[in-house]
Amino acid sequence: MASQIISLAEYRRRVVTNRLGLWLFIISDSFLFGGLLVARFYLLGTHQRPDVSHVVGLVVTSVLLLSSFFMNRAEIALQAGDQKSFLRGTLITLALGTLFLVGVVGVEWQIAPYGPSHDAAWSLFYTMTGFHALHVLSGVIFLAIIYRNGRKGLYSPDRHWPVEAAAVYWHFVDVVWIFFYPALYLMGHAIV
Amino acid sequence: MDENKKSEAFQIGLSVITLLIVFTVGEYLLGVIAVDWWMPLIAIGLFKAFFIIRDYMHLPRLFAAEEEIH
Repeated sequence: MASQIISLAEYRRRVVTNRLGLWLFIISDSFLFGGLLVARFYLLGTHQRPDVSHVVGLVVTSVLLLSSFFMNRAEIALQAGDQKSFLRGTLITLALGTLFLVGVVGVEWQIAPYGPSHDAAWSLFYTMTGFHALHVLSGVIFLAIIYRNGRKGLYSPDRHWPVEAAAVYWHFVDVVWIFFYPALYLMGHAIV
Repeated sequence: MDENKKSEAFQIGLSVITLLIVFTVGEYLLGVIAVDWWMPLIAIGLFKAFFIIRDYMHLPRLFAAEEEIH
């Protein structure tokens, strides 16, 4: 099949449509996380929380926020035609995303006093962090593809919709955690 | 995007992350010291989300006309 190169005007027109589709997906995905938050407050109220490590929570949250910062830098660099900074920013984001996963699944889950089958509250804790971790994992995979394609020179300042989509998705995952962090780690007394 | 716009965009990104880190440490301290103060934690969360959605996710791009983009 012969490849078809579309004009820049047509490319931009498609990006406008793609952007709308991405945001519709994000809104629909927000309902899933919103439902989990509602369940958390229904089960535990605002005066109780799982007995999880405050420090691990702060560290993983900071790591995820920093990853968003580097993703933003990578996107700006690409828009300015700076491929090297774009690749470096994407790689740092990828590394920080992986570090976040290690922090939640590899550390927090291992030191938590109870497993998911202990009671409804703990089951919810693992569901919330697990669903979020799966989103981070898919973001990491998405970023790895972006990095690989970026190294091949597939993106330019004018044509980089996949990078924008990956960045918006990554920041969305960050926004979700901004609400999960206080809900799981900070609000109320730890249930012993 | 020219050099001026690039450094301006970098500057906005840096301001946002500084704000996010400061508020995250603030909510951590609030969570440790005043465990029953859940309302400020929600307010801080909304505040942080606003900046990410506006400056990192570029929500206004969604409403921009085709010719205004890039």
